[in-house]
Amino acid sequence: MPDKAISYEELMPGYKFPPATYELKPSFVSKYLRAVDSSGDGFVPPLAIAACAIATMTKSVPLPPGTIAIHASQELEFLKLVPSGATIECHIGVAQKIARGKMSMLVLELEIFDKAREKVQSGRATIALPT
Amino acid sequence: MLTEIQEGKSLGPVVKHITQEKINLYAEASGDFNPIHVDESFAAKTPFGGTIAHGMLNLAYVSEMMTLAFGRSWVSGGKLRAKFKESARPGDTLTITGKIDCIEQETDVSYANCSFECRNQRGEAIVTGEAIVKVSSGKE
Repeated sequence: MPDKAISYEELMPGYKFPPATYELKPSFVSKYLRAVDSSGDGFVPPLAIAACAIATMTKSVPLPPGTIAIHASQELEFLKLVPSGATIECHIGVAQKIARGKMSMLVLELEIFDKAREKVQSGRATIALPT
Repeated sequence: MLTEIQEGKSLGPVVKHITQEKINLYAEASGDFNPIHVDESFAAKTPFGGTIAHGMLNLAYVSEMMTLAFGRSWVSGGKLRAKFKESARPGDTLTITGKIDCIEQETDVSYANCSFECRNQRGEAIVTGEAIVKVSSGKE
């Protein structure tokens, strides 16, 4: 969910973006499976869930105009099976912001919960931004 | 799925061909329409010189290999750490392979520590990393 109120310069460790909710409809799952050229087994592929979180992240982070963000690294932990049709909530926060020469690195933490408020996935993404 | 979980066991390969159509489909499914992935004229003017596949698309292929090897132990209990080393581009053929580096025993549970890599047709590393999967439990 875009947070128009904050600029990239204002992003600081500890900042939490507004959570985003996704309904993992069977149509979403089948579209995802077609995109990754794979077959399913009734459960949502864990990377499809992570893709929702990353999409939230890319929409949320207010990048300077013309900037190309590079996904440098990704950590993920899959904690629970998620059935097709489930609703998930993605929480993204800023863990670190590092300036390294002509590169700025943003480390984001992500947590994904199901409707029962149980954590289904967690992770950490590092985004590199040439400055 | 693997019939034997033992150190040194190879995982994969999973082989995938990248096309702009697949990248566009992934953008639609994931909602990530960053122009570096889907806008060929924009991407041509960047240092990449053309569109690139989403890193998470390449990582999905790694997860597919892990699911084929470990089944539900991977999708509910797996952990990975990946580095995106290079970009995959339309026309590339990616080969994803892995290996069980060691098996660690912790009280009632065993964990397979694996390494993986995704390389293009020129042998360039696109994604590399490590993964951990719980392979047995005394409670099961």
